[in-house]
Amino acid sequence: MGRKYQVDLSRGLTNARAAEILVQDGPNALTPPPTTPEWVKFCRQLFGGFSILLWIGAILCFLAYGIQAAMEDEPANDNLYLGVVLAAVVIVTGCFSYYQEAKSSKIMDSFKNMVPQQALVIREGEKIQINAENVVVGDLVEVKGGDRVPADMRIISSHGCKVDNSSLTGESEPQTRSPEFTHENPLETRNICFFSTNCVEGTARGIVISTGDRTVMGRIASLASGLEVGRTPIAMEIEHFIRLITGVAVFLGLSFFILSLILGYTWLEAVIFLIGIIVANVPEGLLATVTVCLTLTAKRMARKNCLVKNLEAVETLGSTSTICSDKTGTLTQNRMTVAHMWFDNQIHEADTTEDQSGATFDKRSPTWAALARIAGLCNRAVFKPGQENISISKRDTAGDASESALLKCIQLSCGSVKKMRDKNPKVTEIPFNSTNKYQVGPGRAGPRGAQSGTALVPQPAAARQPCFCHLYLPPDKFPRGFRFDADEINFPTTNLCFVGLMSMIDPPRAAVPDAVGKCRSAGIKVIMVTGDHPITAKAIAKGVGIISEGNETVEDIAARLNIPVSQVNPREAKACVVHGSDLKDMTSEQLDEILKNHTEIVFARTSPQQKLIIVEGCQRQVGAPRSHVPSALVVPAISLAYEAAESDIMKRQPRNPKTDKLVNERLISMAYGQIGMIQALGGFFTYFVILAENGFLPSTLVGIRLAWDDRSTNDLEDSYGQEWVSTLCTLAWSHVMVAH
Amino acid sequence: PSPALPRSRARSGGGERGHEGEAEDPNSEEEEETKQAMGSKTWRELAGDLKLFLWNREERTCMGRTATSWGLILLFYFVFYTCLAGMFAFCMYVMLLTLSPYTPTYRDRVSPPGVMIRPYLHGFTIAFNVSKRSTWQPYVDSMHRFLAAYDDKVQEEKNIECVAGRYFVQGGHEGEEKKACRFKRSLLQSCSGLGDPTFGYSRGQPCVLLKMNRIIGYRPGAGVPVSVDCKVQKGNESDLRSVDFYPGNGTFDLMYYPYYGKITHVNYTSPLVAMHFTDVKRNNLVPIQCSLKGEGIINDVNNDRFLGRILFTLSIGK
Repeated sequence: MGRKYQVDLSRGLTNARAAEILVQDGPNALTPPPTTPEWVKFCRQLFGGFSILLWIGAILCFLAYGIQAAMEDEPANDNLYLGVVLAAVVIVTGCFSYYQEAKSSKIMDSFKNMVPQQALVIREGEKIQINAENVVVGDLVEVKGGDRVPADMRIISSHGCKVDNSSLTGESEPQTRSPEFTHENPLETRNICFFSTNCVEGTARGIVISTGDRTVMGRIASLASGLEVGRTPIAMEIEHFIRLITGVAVFLGLSFFILSLILGYTWLEAVIFLIGIIVANVPEGLLATVTVCLTLTAKRMARKNCLVKNLEAVETLGSTSTICSDKTGTLTQNRMTVAHMWFDNQIHEADTTEDQSGATFDKRSPTWAALARIAGLCNRAVFKPGQENISISKRDTAGDASESALLKCIQLSCGSVKKMRDKNPKVTEIPFNSTNKYQVGPGRAGPRGAQSGTALVPQPAAARQPCFCHLYLPPDKFPRGFRFDADEINFPTTNLCFVGLMSMIDPPRAAVPDAVGKCRSAGIKVIMVTGDHPITAKAIAKGVGIISEGNETVEDIAARLNIPVSQVNPREAKACVVHGSDLKDMTSEQLDEILKNHTEIVFARTSPQQKLIIVEGCQRQVGAPRSHVPSALVVPAISLAYEAAESDIMKRQPRNPKTDKLVNERLISMAYGQIGMIQALGGFFTYFVILAENGFLPSTLVGIRLAWDDRSTNDLEDSYGQEWVSTLCTLAWSHVMVAH
Repeated sequence: PSPALPRSRARSGGGERGHEGEAEDPNSEEEEETKQAMGSKTWRELAGDLKLFLWNREERTCMGRTATSWGLILLFYFVFYTCLAGMFAFCMYVMLLTLSPYTPTYRDRVSPPGVMIRPYLHGFTIAFNVSKRSTWQPYVDSMHRFLAAYDDKVQEEKNIECVAGRYFVQGGHEGEEKKACRFKRSLLQSCSGLGDPTFGYSRGQPCVLLKMNRIIGYRPGAGVPVSVDCKVQKGNESDLRSVDFYPGNGTFDLMYYPYYGKITHVNYTSPLVAMHFTDVKRNNLVPIQCSLKGEGIINDVNNDRFLGRILFTLSIGK
């Protein structure tokens, strides 16, 4: 490694060499996706979609006014006013949606801050803190618990280092990092830390092997930003509507144009008719209404901790057909919790609910007391200080996730673990490691001078299940003051007394099973996509109802019938757990097959690229982009994260893209046949009322138009014998419009 | 109620899908196909689809609807429009009940008065050749027709003599018949057509009559009679050398006002002012503006060239 990167493994790069590489490779930062300039965004809001029709209307109005102004001495201002109103509507709504979008994207931008700020590098034998952007390939970097990894690096030495790769793989479980090479796949092997992941605990030193866009994270980021963003259903619907309306408007306008030419109007009058009818058919209010409705919805959702980045997404949310959900943190609480205990030959259920409202168990058994003592004492996790007022299950802890779970469990059921530890001070411990897979932590207890030992034996199963054993050491052999040596073990670690088991899971959120059920009943398919182990994934899926009760996977059927998996007809299984490595070998047709044939699907051990493949597969199923709940990196039609299920949205029937159009036959018959007719009669009535009140009774009005339009008739007689100047009649006309 | 109700019911009916629900599917599919595969489909297929849409033998549907469906929707629209028409008629009836037959509710739009001239033949250009009778005869005919109602005999028979110089206000009930004041044709003197039946057109000295629009209850001039004045508009002032006004100095006498509407004021004849253009430049287009002068009269609105004034062109040839 040292030779390859021309670096001294103890002294690091020279400053000159580092500067050289920096110039050559560029800074260690992700190239931000090409951003659209603000004015382009603004123009898009101003001239995109429906606005363009309104603009055309406005321009036509100005044009008509221009023609009138040029041709006549006394142009009517109606067209000018209408043009100004149309333009104002578009500009106001454009500014409005631009403001809304800018506001949300500003918040989103603040989330993007995923790049590490500072890094500790060794150059010329000195540890120096530099800006992470200046880290170069070949640099020796040190990370410790709480740091962000500044670049992809190969570990050369480590001390209990664990990293959280969840931003990369979605797997929340911290993973050990050590110099050993364990796997061909760089994502799986233990000796590589990835850019922008977190170091949870321990320390590590490594050589930077790639920086900036060449890191794994960088490749994924560019992958995600290269994804074409599909149009949302409401955008498509509005476009469809615009096309329809434009068609209707142009058709009506042209027919009136031809009719008025046939009736002998001049071409100028006919053109003004044409423009007037086209403009009259442009629904000025629609754009504003849609924007306002979406904004109000977005606001309502914001109150429920749901940030809407794009207004149109609000509507899309309502037409969700498939939800691809991450497991950790979304479906689960992202908090290891003790779920079950086994002692006295009996399984006891622990309370895993978020608010501690679940069942409790009998605590009087002496075995429980022994178990609690082991779990409390042989445990390195501690509560972080200053959290006395927070409920125990929500407190932050320092230490391993499993140990934290045990700590909380004991604290909850037996009171302060700290007191217990004070009473039994620690004399020695052998911490857990992957080779011996146990932990021994003797503590001195009371006057009897007894010691209790614990062995933690994690299993690669759905839930981790440490076994707890203890042994009271005879006081004569191990008197007070005996020096225990953890390296050269001088105390018994075998023939312990088995006390019990505790199993831990990351429990599902309380609201999730209900939400999943609601989604199901609304016809939304819920798919779980996780980087976790299939067994864990399946257990959680069963817990939250993604795999519903009674539904079996192929493996379950095989186990029940006691036959090999290959003999089971995959069609019989409604549920299905797909492993990431299987997914890798699948063609998109096979993936479609799975998505089509199984109603309940869990994808486990998936990489971010595969999440993308799954999302695309789902989109193929519905034929158009739909919404999903993905991990932080994937960019589907809609990304969202929720805290509590939004029951209003869940209740809505999902949209059928074929029949549920913004404009359909039913709506048109309602709009034109019923509401339109009512409006028309309302308009006519207003017209008759106002003209009658000004002197023209309805009977006089029939056929009056010719004299009315004739500019040389200045003594038009009304029903009362009064005589009117024709321009005064026009004034009465405008009065009608205002009143209407 | 909605016309689409039977259809939507069939759609949501789930288990027992009605005839209509089934009928809908091929159409919506067809629509979708037509939209998506416009390019790839042949015209023959399209025509086939259209034929199927117009008459589907299997489903017995025409344009996607069965006979029952068509019957229901037509019935719905018949009832709907009948109700709508009924409601409209009722509204109109109630509205008409609120109107007075003698005076319109609002008169603010009709005043101040506009002005109109006679002779009037589709426009405001009076052009004729003195030597050619056929060019001015239509104007003369128009004048005679218009002045028929002002014949001295007719006026004496129908109307009463009023006191000049003050408004002829008639009290009493609104519906009572009102008296109208005499405006005898002879008042117009040389423009009356009595002495010279050609109104001066045969001599190149045309008469033009000017009348103010009738407005119910309007009292022009606020006590001082409104007068008429003429001048050349945008042109050489010397083109119009002299105009004679009748009666008097070209004023509308107060006794002809106010007007009470055509139901009660049956024989009302608008007072006139005759303008005798005795010396106008020949063989030339002379634009003339005659305007009313008096209190409450507006005659200078740029946009409205007929409010309180009138523009016309005289073109007298040899």
